Amino acid sequence: MKIQSVKDLENISQMYSKKLYTPDGIKVNIGMASCGIAAGAEASYSKALEKFPGDNGVRICQTGCIGFCELEPLVEILETGKPRVIYKNITEDKILDAIEDYQQAHFKKKWILGQMRDPRCVLEDIPNPLAKVEPFEGIPFLEDIPFYSKQVKIALRNCGYIDPDSIEEYIVKGGYAAFIKALHEMDAAKIIKVVKESGLRGRGGGGFPAGIKWATCAKHDGDRYIICNADEGDPGAYMDRSILEGDPHSVLEGMLIAAVAIGSGQGYMYVRNEYPLAVKRLITAIRQAESCGLLGDNIAGTGFSFHIKISTGAGAFVCGESTALMASLEGNVGRPRAKYVHTVEKGFRESPSNLNNVETYANVPPILLKGAKWYAGMGTEHSKGTKVFSLVGKIKNTGLVEVPMGISLKEIVSDIGGGVPKKKQFKAVQTGGPSGGCIPGRFMNISVDYQKLAEVGSIMGSGGMIVMDQDTCMVDVARYFMDFLKEESCGQCNPCREGITQVLNILTDICAGNGKEGDIELLEELGSMIQKFSLCGLGTSAPNPVLTTILYFRDEYESHIRDKKCSAGVCKNLFHYEIDEEACTGCTLCAKRCPQEAITGEKKEPHTLEQDKCIKCGICYDACKFDAIAIR
Amino acid sequence: MVTFKLNGKTVQGEEGQYILQVAEKYGIKIPTLCHHKALEPAGMCRLCTVELFDGRRSRFVTSCNYPIWEGMEISTDSEAVHQGRKLIVELLLARCPNVPVINELAAKYDITEPRFKKENKDCILCGLCTRMCERMGNSVISLTGRGVEMKVDTPFHLQSDICLACGACASVCPTGHITLEKIRQDISKHAVKPIPSEYEMGLKGRKPVYVPYAQAVPNTPAIDRSVCVYFKTGGCKVCTEFCGVDAIDHTMEDEIVELNVGSIILTPGFEPFDPSAFDSYGYANHPNVMTAMEFERILSASGPTMGHLVKMSDHKEPKKIAWFQCVGSRDLNRCDNSYCSSVCCMYAVKEAIIAKEHSGDDLDCAIFYMDMRTHGKDFERYYNTAQNAGVRFVRTRVHSIDPVQGNADLLSVRYATESGELVNEEFDVIVLSVGLQTPPELIELADSLGIELTQGNFCKTESFEPVATSRKGIYIAGAFQGPKDIPQSVVDASAAASAAGETLTPARNTLTKVREEIPETNVINERPRIGVFVCRCGINIAGVVNVPEVAEYAGNLPFVEYASDNLYSCSQDTQEVITQIIRQKNLNRVVVAACTPRTHEPLFQETLINAGLNKYLFEMCNIRNHDSWVHKNNPDLATKKAKDLVRMAVSKVGLMEPLEEADLEVNQTAMILGGGISGMSAARSLARQGYETHIVEQSSQLGGQALNLFHTAKGEDVQEKLRSLTDEIEKDEKIHVHLETTLADVDGFVGSFESTLSSNGNDETLKYGVAVLATGATPLEPLEYCYGKDSRIITSLELDRKFIDKDESLKDMGCAVFIQCVGSREPERPYCSRVCCTHSVENALELKHLNPEMNVYILYRDIRTYGEREYLYKEAREAGVIFVRYSVENKPDVALEDGKILVTVTDHVLGLPLEIEAELLTLASAIVPNKVDDVAQFFKVPINDDGFFVEKHAKLGPSEFATDGVFLCGLAHYPKPIDEAVGQGRAAASRAVTLLARKVIQTSGAVADTNPAICSACGVCVSICPYSAPSFIDPEARFFPGKAQINPVLCKGCGLCVASCRSGAIRLKGFDNDQIFAQIYAMAEAV
Repeated sequence: MKIQSVKDLENISQMYSKKLYTPDGIKVNIGMASCGIAAGAEASYSKALEKFPGDNGVRICQTGCIGFCELEPLVEILETGKPRVIYKNITEDKILDAIEDYQQAHFKKKWILGQMRDPRCVLEDIPNPLAKVEPFEGIPFLEDIPFYSKQVKIALRNCGYIDPDSIEEYIVKGGYAAFIKALHEMDAAKIIKVVKESGLRGRGGGGFPAGIKWATCAKHDGDRYIICNADEGDPGAYMDRSILEGDPHSVLEGMLIAAVAIGSGQGYMYVRNEYPLAVKRLITAIRQAESCGLLGDNIAGTGFSFHIKISTGAGAFVCGESTALMASLEGNVGRPRAKYVHTVEKGFRESPSNLNNVETYANVPPILLKGAKWYAGMGTEHSKGTKVFSLVGKIKNTGLVEVPMGISLKEIVSDIGGGVPKKKQFKAVQTGGPSGGCIPGRFMNISVDYQKLAEVGSIMGSGGMIVMDQDTCMVDVARYFMDFLKEESCGQCNPCREGITQVLNILTDICAGNGKEGDIELLEELGSMIQKFSLCGLGTSAPNPVLTTILYFRDEYESHIRDKKCSAGVCKNLFHYEIDEEACTGCTLCAKRCPQEAITGEKKEPHTLEQDKCIKCGICYDACKFDAIAIR
Repeated sequence: MVTFKLNGKTVQGEEGQYILQVAEKYGIKIPTLCHHKALEPAGMCRLCTVELFDGRRSRFVTSCNYPIWEGMEISTDSEAVHQGRKLIVELLLARCPNVPVINELAAKYDITEPRFKKENKDCILCGLCTRMCERMGNSVISLTGRGVEMKVDTPFHLQSDICLACGACASVCPTGHITLEKIRQDISKHAVKPIPSEYEMGLKGRKPVYVPYAQAVPNTPAIDRSVCVYFKTGGCKVCTEFCGVDAIDHTMEDEIVELNVGSIILTPGFEPFDPSAFDSYGYANHPNVMTAMEFERILSASGPTMGHLVKMSDHKEPKKIAWFQCVGSRDLNRCDNSYCSSVCCMYAVKEAIIAKEHSGDDLDCAIFYMDMRTHGKDFERYYNTAQNAGVRFVRTRVHSIDPVQGNADLLSVRYATESGELVNEEFDVIVLSVGLQTPPELIELADSLGIELTQGNFCKTESFEPVATSRKGIYIAGAFQGPKDIPQSVVDASAAASAAGETLTPARNTLTKVREEIPETNVINERPRIGVFVCRCGINIAGVVNVPEVAEYAGNLPFVEYASDNLYSCSQDTQEVITQIIRQKNLNRVVVAACTPRTHEPLFQETLINAGLNKYLFEMCNIRNHDSWVHKNNPDLATKKAKDLVRMAVSKVGLMEPLEEADLEVNQTAMILGGGISGMSAARSLARQGYETHIVEQSSQLGGQALNLFHTAKGEDVQEKLRSLTDEIEKDEKIHVHLETTLADVDGFVGSFESTLSSNGNDETLKYGVAVLATGATPLEPLEYCYGKDSRIITSLELDRKFIDKDESLKDMGCAVFIQCVGSREPERPYCSRVCCTHSVENALELKHLNPEMNVYILYRDIRTYGEREYLYKEAREAGVIFVRYSVENKPDVALEDGKILVTVTDHVLGLPLEIEAELLTLASAIVPNKVDDVAQFFKVPINDDGFFVEKHAKLGPSEFATDGVFLCGLAHYPKPIDEAVGQGRAAASRAVTLLARKVIQTSGAVADTNPAICSACGVCVSICPYSAPSFIDPEARFFPGKAQINPVLCKGCGLCVASCRSGAIRLKGFDNDQIFAQIYAMAEAV
């Protein structure tokens, strides 16, 4: 059917909300985003579907990323009149048991993450379907788990709640209402005004105010294009992927609203080809939107037409840079050009082009529906709303979190993330992807917003957040990122190509124990030049990991260079393992695991390690339960 | 216009311009490695990064592609910028430690050794090549790969089919990473070959946009459509980016222009014979076998080897060079050119001598020839010089050239000597003295014009009308008329001009426009107000010299009121601007610092005149040839030198004074001395062009030596033709013939001569504007070979007389002998009389016609039947005339015994004496110029050792004297046949008309002037002046009797007299002592 009005949306809403909230029999929602699939959700799904193929009381459904990626596969099981229960780590072997567990109401604590109080998203004004339901006893509420309690889900509002392949479920959750409103009730200026006032800034990394960008683009004549940057390339960051996999329509809707505001007839979605599931779900979503008349010619009879094409990138990090992305979109080599003439004036095909990333677009519908004030009510002075972070590294609760701007780093890392595992010492958090900076522990109280992060030498970036503990060597971290950037630099400009290569050479030398006096100063000199003289954002931000690690962990560099020591035990030439005789209980675990048979010793007697044989693989270090293996 | 600050200075640029462009305009150099004017800026090398202050904060932008905006502040060399650039250079040095351009850059930044890990690459990835390729419309190469993997490559590293091998990529590559070799091996499937330069005979390449050669007229570049990339791909057009005046238009098409003309002169020239077909000479395959034209280029300082004499195979100096004469001439076996090309003997001798001059005396030069034909004026002397210099002359014709086994560079030649001995000799280089021939397209042209050609495909002419084709109104000059050298071509050209002028006389001056006279401002006693215009000459000067800085400097010099710089000072619009500025700023002296005054001074003087200034209030200094061109590697010093030159010019021009150019009325009458063929031809031509002409002839009859000639070489009856010429002269009202008259005195100078004519004791005064000296020559009366002792021993002219008189006795003779070079090519008369060989051959043939049974011998040294006269020689041999060569050391012996004439000569083939009993012995006696010492004195014209007049220039001024208003023609110049004499008569007339056509002539203002008060009357100036300008004031005069005075009309301003005047009494206007010293003092400031 063709959707023409709010009424049409409401009709669909009514038709499908039952399915979503009050299904007949048991509904099993398996988290089938990449994180879930990687953990084995697909097998669980197939197994469940095999057992319950039809609608015989148990219906097997899929949904996006439920957030707590550490505990995937996550499975949500619900039944009308009962709270929803989220099962964790439900692999193939457990799925049937889990369903049985729910049916039998056993609720094995080990399997359960929690139950849910309110499954609605911010856009729904229906009464809470679980309001009158009796909660299960002994099961924690999801909202009370620190991981969830501090989150505010706007961009991720539907992820893990709906079937991403169902436009109807999106509509039930308030989807497309903002677009229809924009189309029928608002003019371009008004939309831009709302977006401006909301304070929404580009979530891709640059943080440029979206409203201003839209307004500037709308000002320039030509065939204006709406482009969505879904070329998420930062290692360890997967916010956009999750949104695309869990709620593709939210992005399409955001683009549609932007198209109305800017006056564009054509949109492009530039997605990494390494995100096949996202591409697949996007294609489905676009087809659905087209068949519902939400994409295409003469939308809702207003005369407004908009089409979206998908273009897949070949996996170049630099193609996340706007001009490189557009060059790639045009079919050219994805290399940036000088942006002295902005892309909003001359971008894709020399035409005014508005580029935002997935998360930015996903934020737009709620802003339009709930108003600029509502959005601007969250966050800090210059950073409004929420931000999605992918929390990875040496942290307990790896996963995707959406928090209001201004929350402290500490809250994210310690409260939401659960801190560093294994009682290790927290050392730093790296934000903003490979060109971000490393923030040491002493700044953990700073609030997360664009300005504060910049003040401590890092960036918000697209939201990658890598937590590091005492076992992380900061020189090695810098070397790792430089290695990544060396591969990903487009190679056009000398400061970036040659500069990064030489920075990497110096860092490699330092890590190999060949560092020399003056290297740190040379790194600083190079870093400063690369920042000033590079052509694009990749180059200008590339030295950040080096410069911030030098800034905050200079002693570590110095000990690498002067003492030839890597206290974190990462740079193999700069440390060795020793067995602490006092701590060693002679449990023999280490000796059994050592691939080189370098550890010997009698049971219950302190063991000894032969340095000549040791290859510093670290297996003993990880294996020892008594901290008896020491790094020296 | 956008105004902003550049290094603290307020500057202006146009909307849309980039910082770099504006900085360039203001002479601020910003380093860059990836910028090219013709390419979209890429901002890749980042060296051009500058600091931009936008009012709030500073940031770094690349100047090559950052558009300027109002109010911005740019600092091109701040500390931060400098440090950053230095580090980039250091990084590049680490990448490419062995690339010169990077090393130079590093040296500029005081980097000796990079602190980084070194690689050994030669590509700096500036992308110039790939962008250039894209611009060429092809995009064969691109930057492939990412990051450190990036390189310049073709797709999939495959040799490209679409690559045109145009070489544009290599031409812009600053590091030498892309070379023609690389294109050949890695990039293109097509052959990489240079476009052969036609002018350099293919020994060197040239560009698709090219000036054919340095002296080409017009000296403007042309685009060769057949190789221009634009006409192949639609891309490129790079040239348009560099042309500062938008002069290039690729859409131009050939157009057909129809002209309505009264006559046509054909001067299409010849083509050198292509010896490729002579497979036995291996010209096509061996680089060291070359044509003489190619060898000319190698000898030339502007040639492909810069005048360095080297072998083309290995660029090493040759030790032995051979010349093969008559390649494509006098040859019916291997080509169809049986005529003699006339010029090759002489050019081979010349090349041999110059080769020795280049390489030293050790160079062995051998000329292989059949007959040495050095029949031109002073040529025989030159031949003798060559022999004395050790050039070997080998009389033989070589069959083939073979490369030496084991040493492909050496060439082996096998030949027979005169004594019949077989010799093998090896040479490094063999020069083929190729002949002249008419190219096929000219034969077609002749056909379409309907003009007849000769057997040798040259234009057919008659001896008495040597420049007229068979079609009326179409004239001819140069080698299309027959193979000939430069002086003869120049004579022809003047003659053709004259012939055309005769027809067009009524139209003379009908299309002349009178220029508007601009009143001259009086600047005397005014304080100097100097304007200085410094020319950029596009990038010719501005590419090296900081022109705005020089202009600014000039503006601060004393008395300078205005100084600016121009893109092209010589362009028409700039000329107008200069005129306006002179007026607006009320300037009274002008300095232009640009290129050479030789070509451009008159242009700027014209500008001064248009602005109402005397044209001598001008000084030009050459900051191009003398500065930017020679100091292009040292721009800072070049800028300093430009300032020095400008300062010198300014200090001189301040002292310049307006000079007057005297007007001289021309008496439009001509006097011709000598009533021979050439004199009459000159007279007829002048009269036909409307000028009163007097012929002064000492004998009682017009006609000169021609009265004794039987037939021309072409077989025309001389007497018949002579009669009709004489008739025409006598009937012409404008021609006044003074017979039995001699010249008693000559007074005056160009435009107004006055002579006393003396005739049988009566003196008469003749006033005229120009004089033509056609005083002629006479046959030598032989003193050898028993001449005068027997009536059967006669001279050639006496034989002609017998033919004219139809002497019956000639028919019955059994044997006639001719002896050549009687009195010619002898030590006392070391010149060839040019006409005798042809004359004897012709007469021998005539005898054979009269009696085919007659034995006719010609005893010769070299047969010199040049040009198509060679056919006669061939015909004579075919008719059975026997040619016996003798040498000057072993001349024939003539004895009179028992009433018999016995001629003994050593047969050159048998080596044995041959005794011939001759019934008639004709001596081809030398042509000796008439004694003209008095005439030479009258007109102050020189005579050479042989008694012939010395023309103004041996090659380019053959029919005029260095003295203005005096011309020459005929045998008085040098022995010549009738056609050449007629031609030169016309040529002299033509040259004379250039003066007569003007009623008034202007003399230069820059002439010498004496101060008689301090003149010591020593006479040095009078004797030294080549133009006879100084003279003594009449001893009877009231003021300064006997002191020197200078006739400004005759003075050429050469300064000889000034330099040699021991009293310091002579000054050269415009180059006065104080002016020169001011310049020198100004120069001293620089030291």
